[in-house]
Amino acid sequence: MSSWKESLQKTRYVMDVILLVSFMIVSAPQSTGVPLHEWLSLLFIVPFAIHLLLHWDWIKQSFKRLFSKSPAKERFNTVWNYLIYLMMLLVFISGFLVSVALLPALNIGLEIQDFWSKIHHDSATLIMPMLGIHLALQWNWMVKLTKNMLKKKA
Amino acid sequence: MELDGKTHKKYVKEKGLTMKYLQYNWKSRVFVILIISIIASTVMVALELTDWAEQINQQGYSHGSDSEGDKERANIAPALMYILPFVKEIVLIGVPMLLTLLILKLSSMFKSTFKRKKA
Repeated sequence: MSSWKESLQKTRYVMDVILLVSFMIVSAPQSTGVPLHEWLSLLFIVPFAIHLLLHWDWIKQSFKRLFSKSPAKERFNTVWNYLIYLMMLLVFISGFLVSVALLPALNIGLEIQDFWSKIHHDSATLIMPMLGIHLALQWNWMVKLTKNMLKKKA
Repeated sequence: MELDGKTHKKYVKEKGLTMKYLQYNWKSRVFVILIISIIASTVMVALELTDWAEQINQQGYSHGSDSEGDKERANIAPALMYILPFVKEIVLIGVPMLLTLLILKLSSMFKSTFKRKKA
């Protein structure tokens, strides 16, 4: 009877795995080809939005926690999450502004600027180490949930 | 965390439905995310009006579309062409992750040693 959908932590875990896998696929335009990369990036907004919705209470309380006497690690984690969100936004925006398949298919014509091509390439590269640090900061939770999920299956 | 769990349990118990936490107020929450994202995006788009953007546009930028890059790619085995981008991602994500874990481990070790000495 107990399914992952009935536990918030397990739902988060499953959705985060989907988010990570889709991020890795979306971030490899050399493998998927640019048109698929652009369409998949549009779809990627869904797991990204779900990730934010599943952490809504954390987001709501994070701003307060930033100015409270919480441990330095927790405050760093909060600032880091904000930065990742902004970087992800920059990757999205610059990606749409250099689109060669998605926007033309939607009959939206844009003159591609070298500036946005550089920003898209640099921000998409920079977000990967940022994600690595983000994952490291959630490591204990990831290990705990992985064990929990495997235990249920066994 | 405590609040999240309680809120979630409450919805599952009351409605007997799954994914309640995700569905609760999702429209207003997505609207808030959308508004914040649009405001932040507008600020980001304004970057193209800066001298920095103008300078890059004048200098020009090419990545992965030059003939040298094409030649390099022609020398790589087809299977590797699909695998290498994922290897690059794993390295770019994995190395900073492992370094951060090492720093966290070392800092917790230092803290516990310092506490023991103090006690």
